[in-house]
Amino acid sequence: MLKRVIQTQPQVSPLKPRISNHEGTEEASPELPSKRVSSMGELQLPDLAAEDTFVTVFHLNKKRKKVSISEFERAADKRLFQNQAQSTLDNTTLFRSLRMSVGSLMAPDTVEKRGLLRRPRNRKAIDMEAFEGGVEQNMLKSNAQNYLVDLQSASGIRTTMMTSDAEIVLNNTELFVQPQLNERSQNKLSALGPQLSHSKTPAQRSKISDAAQDTAGPEGLVSGVGTDEGRTQRHSENSGLDQEHIDRMAPVSPGTPANQREDQQDGSQQSNPVEQVSVHEEEVAGSVCRLSSSLSSRSSSKYLGSPVTLNYSSMSLREVVSQIIEDLEVSDSEEEMINTVNGVEQEKLFREAAEHGASAGYSEHLEKELAEEAELQITAAQDSRDKTDTAPSAGEGLAEGSDGPHVSPGAEHETAKGVGAGSLDRHSDALSSSEKSGMNPLEEDDEQDVLEDQAIMLDLDDPEEEPAEDESEHPESQEVKNFESEVRQCRLDLEETAMGSSQQRREVSMKTPAFVRAAAHNPLLSAPQDEKPAAPKSLVQLLKPKQVPGRSGTSQRKPREPQIARSLIKEVFSYFVKMPVTREAFKIVEKCSEKYFKQLSSDLEAYTSHAGRKTVEMADVEMLMRRQGLVTDKMPLNVLIERHLPLEYRKLLIPVAVSGNKVIP
Amino acid sequence: MRRTVPRSTLRKIIKKYKPQLRLAANADLLVHLNFLLFLHRLAEEARTNAFENKSKIIKPEHTISAAKVVLKKSRG
Repeated sequence: MLKRVIQTQPQVSPLKPRISNHEGTEEASPELPSKRVSSMGELQLPDLAAEDTFVTVFHLNKKRKKVSISEFERAADKRLFQNQAQSTLDNTTLFRSLRMSVGSLMAPDTVEKRGLLRRPRNRKAIDMEAFEGGVEQNMLKSNAQNYLVDLQSASGIRTTMMTSDAEIVLNNTELFVQPQLNERSQNKLSALGPQLSHSKTPAQRSKISDAAQDTAGPEGLVSGVGTDEGRTQRHSENSGLDQEHIDRMAPVSPGTPANQREDQQDGSQQSNPVEQVSVHEEEVAGSVCRLSSSLSSRSSSKYLGSPVTLNYSSMSLREVVSQIIEDLEVSDSEEEMINTVNGVEQEKLFREAAEHGASAGYSEHLEKELAEEAELQITAAQDSRDKTDTAPSAGEGLAEGSDGPHVSPGAEHETAKGVGAGSLDRHSDALSSSEKSGMNPLEEDDEQDVLEDQAIMLDLDDPEEEPAEDESEHPESQEVKNFESEVRQCRLDLEETAMGSSQQRREVSMKTPAFVRAAAHNPLLSAPQDEKPAAPKSLVQLLKPKQVPGRSGTSQRKPREPQIARSLIKEVFSYFVKMPVTREAFKIVEKCSEKYFKQLSSDLEAYTSHAGRKTVEMADVEMLMRRQGLVTDKMPLNVLIERHLPLEYRKLLIPVAVSGNKVIP
Repeated sequence: MRRTVPRSTLRKIIKKYKPQLRLAANADLLVHLNFLLFLHRLAEEARTNAFENKSKIIKPEHTISAAKVVLKKSRG
């Protein structure tokens, strides 16, 4: 009964009912007054005409109240159903503006309505304190439906509707909001009147209070179901948008502050719903940045920001380079992520640069930058194996364009190093390691030069790979041939993955003869000379408009990197983790598993060679698992097999005794 | 649950890193088991991180820190 009374309270005007009902209602419900006080502030603004009806009703009822509380109850019920449709909107807007007025109004009312004051005060305290927790909880609970539900006066279903509507709201906020808003706006237009002139901060505070209210909501149908739902609807929009479209909002947020100010107050009803959606996005973005910094770490925001910015071709290349520098300078833990971004960015850049038409004047820059880029790539590649693609590409580009004197010796080193560090680990571990020490002093100088230079052009063509000095260390021609073949392989891989354009293929086919030619010669002699003609040729290639790819020589097969199926990883990881996982987290799991396989293979090799064998046996793998701590004396291998592998494989691995004196396998 | 283990893919991956290494007949099944247990550990660690963060979703940062720990553990 109290709740019902409370719900109906706001409609009553402050003056008359206060006096008339004070005696009557005080004993009935201490909470009533709180409602009254809350409504007082706003009720001054809205049309009295609309409330007169309520007042009269109330008065009528009030007379009966003296008779009995049960009758009052009935009246309250009646009023509730009458007012329910309208109460929601009133409460939502009213409460938001309430924040401002409560303070001022509280003082004069204290004498009369000491009991009434309690509830709003509590609410306010809850708002600020529980907001943080409330935000987190309510993020997933969007309930735009609640508004609609309330309109249909089915208030009890709120919680059930919430989750189902979350997706709707998340996916389709604009469409969803619009019809609702239109409905409600039509209903409430007359009632609301001039509510739009509030400032921004109270709106935000009200939003905060809204969110907090949502948490307080379940405590009871305080202030009417409608208000909560109105708040939650907005909050749900915010939170839903927040979660799913955080990166979208980041560019949106700087957009329309003016709209925000206007539209915030009246909520969803009257203003343009589309604007409101964007407004909410802004607010969410702002609130997100303010309140939940953990949501977007620096790296992730940078990650999101940099590709976006890079895609804007209006940005000068220098800025792009500086961005890349920044990315590279981020902490080590994010190095890999940024490196991948870097690689992506660079590839994009290179494509753009190629399209923008690098003139001959860029060639010098190009060489330096190629060297630098290659070095950067190489340094990154050494840490993370993922850079096998980019490193060879950088190395290739480097060798291609390295005419500069200070660059060429370094370039050749780098090329070899880049290639070696990339996918040629198995071949040239010694090669790379020996060069690394020599390379390091060069790297630092080059890095600075490159990053300062503007034009970045990565020539992804096949450059001449033969680093003169490096090759000299390994005079075996066989290794060179292997080296070259693998370089070509890497190059093809890289090209397929990185560019995938006809231009690339054309360049490949153009380069291969040169490459082959160079390979035939003594690499010591031919390397520097071959690079020079290759460099301008590649430049010309890039400058030319897209031509028909003239395939000659090697056919483009599309050699794929063997990768564990992404779906398998997703399935297994989701099964084990039993929680929702973001897409980026999956990417990290993939990378992690690649690293893991690398570790695993080297470990297995070590164990096998220790046993003097060349084939990895079951015992070797078991030894590995023992070393990892997966297999212990308490946990034998067979148990693990039984647990995790399907039946067919279990039979293969575990000897099973079958009748007839047979043992399988 | 998946029914077929990607045996050929596993072989190719190991070949990519160590081409001179051979694999016994059913050794790749044990390798797959190892991989599953690694993912299991990673998932548990990531879940712990997410709980500590009071988040109900696994986020990339949880995964990254989990990966650091687990990769170190599974070095053998």
